[in-house]
Amino acid sequence: MGTLGRAIYLVGSWIRVAGQTVDRVGCTLQGSHLFQEQVSRHRTLMNLFDKDPVIDKDAFVAPGASVIGDVQVGCGSSIWYGCVLRGDVNSISVGSGTNIQDNALVHVAKSNISGNVMPTTIGNNVTVGHGAVLHGCTVEDEAFVGMGATLLDGAHVEKNAMVAAGALVRQNTRIPFGEVWGGNPAKFMRKLTEEEIAFISQSATNYTNLAMVHAAENAKGFEEIELEKALRKKFARKDEEYDSMIGVVRETPVELTLPDNILPDKAQKTAA
Amino acid sequence: MASLSRLTRKTLTTHRHLLSRALATEAVAVKQSPPPPSSVKITENPDRVKWDYRGQRKIIPLGQWLPKIAVDAYVAPNVVLAGQVNVLDGSSVWNGAVLRGDLNKITVGFCSNVQEKCVVHAAWSSPTGLPAETMIERFVTVGAYCLLRSCTIEPECIIGQHSILMEGSLVETHSILEAGSVLPPGRRIPTGELWAGNPAKFVRKLTHEETLEIPKLAVAINDLSKEYFNEYLPYSTIYLEVEKMMKSHGISI
Repeated sequence: MGTLGRAIYLVGSWIRVAGQTVDRVGCTLQGSHLFQEQVSRHRTLMNLFDKDPVIDKDAFVAPGASVIGDVQVGCGSSIWYGCVLRGDVNSISVGSGTNIQDNALVHVAKSNISGNVMPTTIGNNVTVGHGAVLHGCTVEDEAFVGMGATLLDGAHVEKNAMVAAGALVRQNTRIPFGEVWGGNPAKFMRKLTEEEIAFISQSATNYTNLAMVHAAENAKGFEEIELEKALRKKFARKDEEYDSMIGVVRETPVELTLPDNILPDKAQKTAA
Repeated sequence: MASLSRLTRKTLTTHRHLLSRALATEAVAVKQSPPPPSSVKITENPDRVKWDYRGQRKIIPLGQWLPKIAVDAYVAPNVVLAGQVNVLDGSSVWNGAVLRGDLNKITVGFCSNVQEKCVVHAAWSSPTGLPAETMIERFVTVGAYCLLRSCTIEPECIIGQHSILMEGSLVETHSILEAGSVLPPGRRIPTGELWAGNPAKFVRKLTHEETLEIPKLAVAINDLSKEYFNEYLPYSTIYLEVEKMMKSHGISI
């Protein structure tokens, strides 16, 4: 850094100080209505005293989710944006390959009231849809809890069973193997077909792959984000027809290609 | 005096903490803690971030897909937009909503609003002939806690709170869904009707006055969103806080 650079740096810092002063003047003019912004204090994983969440290294937990207390999440699972897993009075265990989609809530019932302990256990390859509420219930492997469903205390969803969207499963209901329950309160609707059972496990796999992409994106540091912004800007005006006319081949940079395992039987689309 | 009391409290609490911690470990040792019900071994990643000082990013690009927000659209600070999301002008997305267009496109049209805690997602494919993207057209009011998945909502509709619209459902112009209704996959709501219930059923036809009210509601919410929009400066001042924090921890900026 030469002397000139140093001088410019110094002038820059003066101007910044001036800017902050102007900012402060503006704040005082706004007076008591002003809200001073803070660094995010949201804790993605939070312990309660000695109950630590145990998260597998291959699980995706969105930074906007909150996982509190005695929670175990197995490998390949994903906790999506805005979820709350609150294992404060009892334990929550989530198996492997399970996805708990956005804005869902998993909570537990008070332990040891009238002698029954109700931890929440969610098995492997379970799909829990958006906005579902699971409260002190058991969901076995490869079950499907639809969007906005509510499972109250002691509900038990057996293997390959399905709770339809918007259903409310009352206390201590047991949903048998391979049945679909829906409505409020939840009642038996029909049997699941073989295809649907296959689809449930397929959707769990898809979600595991999708979660990896999101995990990679959310884990990026500031420099990486800025770099990709620049790359995106550079390649935004890419038009394949034009390129072929003037005979250049432009490769999409590696950073901007998604792994193709998230979209089965769908070709990688370019940005619109 | 106050500092002294604080000090004593501090020492006491730390002691109690240690003591109970020791007791807890002893109790665990005595109890021979039962093995977790899941047979899988969980290997923890010691580097997993427990607290990200940046919080949740609002705009999450995936590959080449960058969510686009129009200049006069209001998107609340804790909304998550991921992938192919288009928030067109005059629309508003309120707190706690998640718009996740990682499999397909999501469009929030002119002057529409997606209210608190909604989840809008798109599936791979839709069971009907419709494209599997989620289209919310102009002057649509989507109430709080709604869950939308690959559905098409045509202009000037109202979706009541806590409604669930599943894959490939279609709500045609000037319709109203009551609160708490569930639209099963592939269901269509014809023009100018009021539907309600789980699963949704026809209630009655809408009168002409009611259909005129629908865009007015959307515009009213748009006006409200303007107030919110003016509350936020184009750039936040958090970077100053972060710089302060880094300085106090001795990290060079």
